[in-house]
Amino acid sequence: MAVPLLEVEGLSKSFGGLKAVNDIRFRMKQKEVIGLIGPNGAGKTTLLRLFTSILKPDSGSIRFKGKELVGMKTWDVVNLGVSCTFQNMRPFRRLPIIANVMVSCLSPRSMKHGEWVKRVEAKAMDALEFAGISDMALEKASTLSQGDLKRLEVARAVATDPELLLLDEPFGGLSPAETDLMAKSIRRLHKGGRFGRLHSEGPAMIIVEHKLQQLMKIVDRIIVLNFGTMLAEGTPEEVVNNPEVIEAYLGGGGGE
Amino acid sequence: MGLLGFYFRKLITLIKGEVLVLPSRTIVGLFVLFLLIMPLITQDPYIIRIMIITSIFAILAASWDLLSGFTGQMNFGHALFFGVGAYASALLNLHAHIPPWGSVPLGAVVAILAGLIVGIPCLRIKHIYLALTTFAFPIILIGIINALPDYTGGDLGLSGLQRFTNSLVGGYYIHIITMLVLCFVMWKITDSNTGIIFHAIREDELAVKASGINTTRYKLLAFCLSGFFAGIAGGLYAHYMRIAGPSTLEVSMSFNVVIWAIFGGIATIYGPIAAVFILNPLLEFVRFWPEYRMLIFAVVVLLILLYMPEGLITWVREKIEIQCPRCKIRNVAIRKNCRVCTAELD
Repeated sequence: MAVPLLEVEGLSKSFGGLKAVNDIRFRMKQKEVIGLIGPNGAGKTTLLRLFTSILKPDSGSIRFKGKELVGMKTWDVVNLGVSCTFQNMRPFRRLPIIANVMVSCLSPRSMKHGEWVKRVEAKAMDALEFAGISDMALEKASTLSQGDLKRLEVARAVATDPELLLLDEPFGGLSPAETDLMAKSIRRLHKGGRFGRLHSEGPAMIIVEHKLQQLMKIVDRIIVLNFGTMLAEGTPEEVVNNPEVIEAYLGGGGGE
Repeated sequence: MGLLGFYFRKLITLIKGEVLVLPSRTIVGLFVLFLLIMPLITQDPYIIRIMIITSIFAILAASWDLLSGFTGQMNFGHALFFGVGAYASALLNLHAHIPPWGSVPLGAVVAILAGLIVGIPCLRIKHIYLALTTFAFPIILIGIINALPDYTGGDLGLSGLQRFTNSLVGGYYIHIITMLVLCFVMWKITDSNTGIIFHAIREDELAVKASGINTTRYKLLAFCLSGFFAGIAGGLYAHYMRIAGPSTLEVSMSFNVVIWAIFGGIATIYGPIAAVFILNPLLEFVRFWPEYRMLIFAVVVLLILLYMPEGLITWVREKIEIQCPRCKIRNVAIRKNCRVCTAELD
């Protein structure tokens, strides 16, 4: 059997007495799209932050293409091909939007992958083009709306040319129309191909999201977290019909 | 002859099209021209001396801006690099008998090491803790200097250094041209891709890490670059004053740098340089009323910070220039249409 893209085993992290992530284990195939859902405080964001080494796990291992990620620096993880977006967007507010993306384009991984693109600006522009905010490339990032900031986050992550993209609530705070656009972008990215000078192999993705309706259309598999543990796992249909999941989301014991 | 004329016409076109269209560039051009021809106007040793010291401090202020303004690593002990540069080049000059043009760059290399020594422990801390830690380093060095009076001269410092040249005008040109070149290099660094990463580290370090940039390397790079330029300033100062004393490491030196940079506008490079060229001669000018000297200085700084929190130079630039809303090219404020895309300016 081929080496799985991502292999997580016994991953745990606690903040003081709170077990935010408890003994998570799953495997992920190449190009797979996994949806990560769960009620607030279930540990979804913590899990993503463990993957990119922003937080250090207490125990367990994360192997990306057979390489251990635990203990690596965040930038090394990103340069291996794991890229993430932030839930509460973290743009460089006083820099122009294009400079925001240029920082990603200046990472060693991105520089190596697009060697034939001499100008970093050109590559950054194509990432913005992909995300659909290239018309505002020279505005300060502080002038962007919520939806455009989400797009900027995606552009920044895509510019590092990831093999595994971790999206933290890409639809959070977006209007229905913007959500549709974003979903379209994500599907387009997953299909892979050329976006101007930017090349995408079609990364595997883990998407944390609350808007289940939109999420179901994109993902192959869903993992449900509750209180830091894995509650259920399966295809979207299986998960929505799982009584435990319904109980976690809507609260149990109401029907009887 | 024809070729020469061609290049001359090309130069004229360049100046017309790129420099004269913007008041800020015109002012910078005139200022550089003024510095270069000043000895033709006056050769008063007092004025020349003020200009030389001002230009040395301009390098220092710009190097602080490179570190603290751009990367956001608040350095309240910038005098350390200045002092290390001064003492290192003084020791090299006195004991190894290296002439100034060798001892100043070597002193700057020692200041790079100082930058590493300060930078490595400072990687882990931020904000006020970083400021206090950096604040402590020059004080530690003063302690070391007082503890080893045989090598460092203790309180008296090391005196009897060689000068670059004994000629007044020659010395002026050496310092002014060094200042112009170094400041241009610093401005170029901040204008490059590295400068963008420095900016981004100040804005949000975690997001830079998540973009795949080794922030440790870039922060240390900022410390080293800043140390290098400040070290050159220190070496020049020591050789010009012919003494390297503990006064180069004083707290007031560290804070003067911060005041200059914030007065002119941080994260611009040209702001601190201009601020030094405004404040330092002003300070000399009000020497005629010695009792009010510090009072006037403090009031000027306070007023600037109150009404122009972005810094004087940034404020002036915003007044005389306007950014085109469409193509983001800067224009003279009196223009009705953008000079490139002809969009209407409001």
